[in-house]
This record gives sequence, structure tokens and C-alpha cells, in this order.
Amino acid sequence: MSEAKRLLMIDDDPDFVAGIKAILVKAKYEVDVAYNPKDGLQALKSKNYDLLLLDVMMGRGAEGIMIARKLGKDPKLRDLPVLIITGIREQMAFLFPGQAVHPHFVPVDELVEKPVEPKLLLEKVEALLKTAETRKAQSP
Amino acid sequence: MKTYAYFPGCSLEKMAHSYHLSALETTRALGVELRELEDWNCCGATAYFHVDELLAYTLSARNIAMAEKEHLNLVAPCSGCFKNLFFTRSHLKHDPDLAEHINVALAEDNLQFTGSATVQHLIEVFVQDVGLAEIKARVTNPLQGLRVAPYYGCQILRPRKDHEDVEQPRFFEDLVAACGAVPVSYPLRLTCCGGALIITNRVAALSLVRNLLESAVRERATVIVTACPLCQVNLECYQKQVNREFGTDLNVPVMYFTQLVGLALGIPPKRLGIGSELVAVMPAIADAQKTEPAPVGT
Amino acid sequence: MNAAPVESLPAPPENGLSFVAEIGNLLHAAEGNPINTCIQCGTCSATCPVASGGFMDHSPRRIIALIRAGFKDQVLRANTFWYCASCFQCTVRCPRGIDIAELMYGLKRYTVWKAQHQEGLIGPVFSETFVKMILRSGRSYEPVLATTYLFTYGLPEIIQEAQTATALMLKGRLPLLPARIKRLDNFKRMIRRIIPLGDSE
Repeated sequence: MSEAKRLLMIDDDPDFVAGIKAILVKAKYEVDVAYNPKDGLQALKSKNYDLLLLDVMMGRGAEGIMIARKLGKDPKLRDLPVLIITGIREQMAFLFPGQAVHPHFVPVDELVEKPVEPKLLLEKVEALLKTAETRKAQSP
Repeated sequence: MKTYAYFPGCSLEKMAHSYHLSALETTRALGVELRELEDWNCCGATAYFHVDELLAYTLSARNIAMAEKEHLNLVAPCSGCFKNLFFTRSHLKHDPDLAEHINVALAEDNLQFTGSATVQHLIEVFVQDVGLAEIKARVTNPLQGLRVAPYYGCQILRPRKDHEDVEQPRFFEDLVAACGAVPVSYPLRLTCCGGALIITNRVAALSLVRNLLESAVRERATVIVTACPLCQVNLECYQKQVNREFGTDLNVPVMYFTQLVGLALGIPPKRLGIGSELVAVMPAIADAQKTEPAPVGT
Repeated sequence: MNAAPVESLPAPPENGLSFVAEIGNLLHAAEGNPINTCIQCGTCSATCPVASGGFMDHSPRRIIALIRAGFKDQVLRANTFWYCASCFQCTVRCPRGIDIAELMYGLKRYTVWKAQHQEGLIGPVFSETFVKMILRSGRSYEPVLATTYLFTYGLPEIIQEAQTATALMLKGRLPLLPARIKRLDNFKRMIRRIIPLGDSE
């Protein structure tokens, strides 16, 4: 049996985190949590993760986008798969009613919107981990 | 001639147009050029911080970046705009990650923030850059005997920008004195006028305005002088509503410091936008100068 | 705790994160707004012109006490932060260096994102209308803002507002048409780099 995959979740909503973490732990993933962007970046620097689950609206604003951009520029973290889980459409509904999150402006691998179906979440996580592994195996 | 990039802010377009006119007239007379930013946008006021601070920084950073492109330092006459622009610059300067993020957005408008341009309030240009001695030397119409209550308001002073004294400032009194007028000391000179609460909590704001006006009137001020359009509107345009709400009988003119300096420099009132206020300034000044004996020794 | 209401203290959160930590995370990328070091001296409340005028349901000192004791619902339902005028007097005077005005901004954001603020307040409607207006045109326009509060007023206040507006109009101080910036398309794309919602143009 291979070692359990290690995931990091950066999200400021403790209730949401508790729910998602329970689902992932039950599926035998090892899950660390950071409740703010600063602790999140610190965790990414100090430990190796196989996948990042990232919220968007945190702290001062849409800081998740800021983290995603930063990772994209970091040679050590560039290949870390990122799954955005966001409620931004609801949180900003007064500003952009009914408008979609535009992929052109979000530099990540996958995006799902809150609330998340447990089955869909596990599928996305598994698929992203598999893609990352294949990519790793191909690179020298 | 010293030149600055000038960010008028939304209020100065119409509501506080007299501040705009008097700022341009007096700075010109003092050998300073205010060059208006070509396509400036709203600073975001406080509302943006209630929704997304990164968005608030982006709005202000666009204005700062346009000043940088002109290789000029930035000046704002509105205290609210000044605070937003000033702290956006300092946050972006101290947080390279934040600056990098905001710069991705600014690139959409072919702009970039580097931090090279400083941000000042207009009154700092008068007090620090031009200097009180220089202003005093150019006064041709000293406003002798005029009792002026300088109103600092909030955001010129607070939050603290560096290590300056935010409890016992003197520069506004000194500026009034440089114009030949008598600065009136009154307890509420640093207390809030209510700001945007005039919209979001009318009664609370009217009560703050009342306290302030009464505090100045009690010390026999003839006129209150401000350095912020929002303060001016609250203190002046809402006096009638204050009187109705609290049964008071307040009728104090509230003018911009640029208008006061302009009058002392001998600029005709009309060119300073005087005449657009709801509580007339000129009759009050004329009255006061008739009845008040000039202080000894001037 | 001296500021706690008569109800008993709330149970610790099941999710494992205290309310004070949750609120702390909202502030300046959690660069350490040291809410937890508050000594309840009350300088903020005494120095706040709105609280000392009796307009807030909980003073700033009490809000901090409620946050630390975990009274989440009471805090989010309070009018305190929506009645903060951003004068920063509390911030410059706090002996523990807590940026209290920033805390008020954080609480506003928290309740706007979750749409959980007290019913009937003008503040949230005003902020949201203001932000929408700037995103559309790049500039502010006073007449639009009037719609955010007039509906809450009684007839006497509406008449007074109308009189003030007429007086300002006669002096040429009210704009008839909204202004807009020139490079509006760039501006809108710029905003979408920060809040990634809407179509790409």
C-alpha cells in the first residue's frame, strides 16, 4: 500500500473546513488546515503536499487568487495541483449577480463551488492527484 | 515652479467645486503647479474596505501609478482620498506579494506601481513644502481680527502616518495665523464630523455636527476652516437640519483653508469659489473685521 | 467576564477554532491585530464619538469582550461596526496597539460576505451600492447614493433632505449627470484580475 496522500486546505470558514476535512480523512487522506493565507503559505514552505484545496474570499478579500498566482511563480510549488473551492459567487452576489467565476482570471487546475457534493469533491481530488503523478513520472 | 500630480477626487467635481477652484488659484499664486491626473478614478472611499480591501488597494494604486508615470508626487485635497492613497502606497511598499498581485491588475491598464511617488495631503504642501514663512511673506490682505476655528477632522492625522503628534497638532493654527487671522482654540478641533454617517446614521452624524459647531461658536469663532470636502458638507450644509433636529440656532460659515489663504493673498472671492456656500462667508467676515479690534502689535 | 450579558457563556465551537481566532484571521492577512491582548480599559469606547453619544448597541470595548467570549451571534447582529465613522481615534489611542477601526472593517466584510448583518441598517446597502457604482463608471455620483437611505426615512426627514438638495442644486453643487472615466474597459478588466467574476472582454 502506498503512503497516504497529504493535502493542505486553506480556508477561513471553520465550519466548512470541519465538514470537508471529515470527508477527506474518511477517504484516507492526511489533511492539514490553515485558516488564513499567511499560515497557509507558511505551511506550504515548511512541508511537502500533494494537493492544495484553496478558498478564495479570505482575510482582506479575494486572497486565494493572490496565493494561486504566487504558487504559479514559485519553481518549487509550480507543479502542486490546486483545487479552488469557493463561495465567491454567493459572497459577491450583490456585485455581480448571477455571473460566473471567469476561468481566464483564475490561474488554477480546477474549481468547484460551495456547497460541495462529497462525491464530486473526492472525484476531483483523485483526478488531480493522478494527473500530477503522471506528469511527475514523465518528467526526467 | 514646483509641480505635483493632483488627484481632485469625486467631491471636488461638483459638491466641493469651490475647494477645487481655490486650490488651483492659491497654489498658482504660491508658485506651485497642480497637474490633474488625466484619467483618475474614485479612491473607493471607505465602502471598498467593507467589501474587499484588495479591491480598495487596486483603485488607489491605479491613481498612484498614473502619478508615477508622470514622475510626479501625488497630492489629494480630500482627507478621505488622502488616507486611502497614502496607506495603499505604504502597504504595497511593505508587502511585495501584495504589490505583485495588484500589479497584475494594473497591467490591464498599462500601469505599474513601484512606490516612487509620495502621497501628500494638500495642506502639507502649504505648510511643509511652500512653508508658513513664505505664505506669510506673500500675504497682501491680512485677515486681521478674524476669529478662525481650524478644524482638523480625522484622516489628515489618523491613523498615524509616522511618529507625528496626533494629539496636539499646531500646523493648522499656524497656517491661520500666517494669514493674519486669529486661530481660535476649541476642544473638538480633532473630533469626527460623522463622515459618511450623515447617510448611514443621520441622527448620530447630526449630533456630532452639532457638538462641533457649538464647541467652535462657544469660543467665538466667526468662521470654521476645513481641509476636507466631506467635513465641509457635513458642517455647513447640514446646519439647518441640525437646527431643526435639536432646536439650536446655528449659523456659522464653513470654508476651505485654500479659500482663507486665497483671501489673504488678495485673490478676489469669486475666483476662490466663494458664493457657492449655503451659509454666506463674506458678510460674516466683513462684520467680524468691523467689530473686532485688531490685535495689538500687528 | 465583566462585559458578558446575563446569558451563560457559549459552548466552545465544535469546529475547533475560537471566534476570536476567526475574526483575527480577517485582519491584515492576520499580521497580528492583537485583539487578545485587550485589557478592557475602555479608552476606545470613551474616545469614540458615536459610542459616547449612545448610538451603538455595544461599545467597541464590549464588542471586543463579546468576540473573545465567543458570542458570535450577538457580535454579528450588532450595529457597532456599521456605525463606526472611520475616525481612527480608538486606533491611535489604544494602549495595546489594537487597530480597532480595522477590526470594524473586518467585521463589516465578514457580515457582507455572509449576508448576516442586522436587518434595516443603511450601512451595508450604502457600501454595496457605492462599490457597484464605482465598478460601473469609475467615479462616484451623489444622486445614486440618495436612493440607499431615503426609503428608510419618514416624511419630515425626506422634506429636509429635499430642501438641502434644492439649496445645493441652486448653488450648482449637485451633479446632473454621472461622470465616468475614459479607459473604462481597461478599468473593468483590472477589477476582474482581483475579483474574478463576470465575462472576459
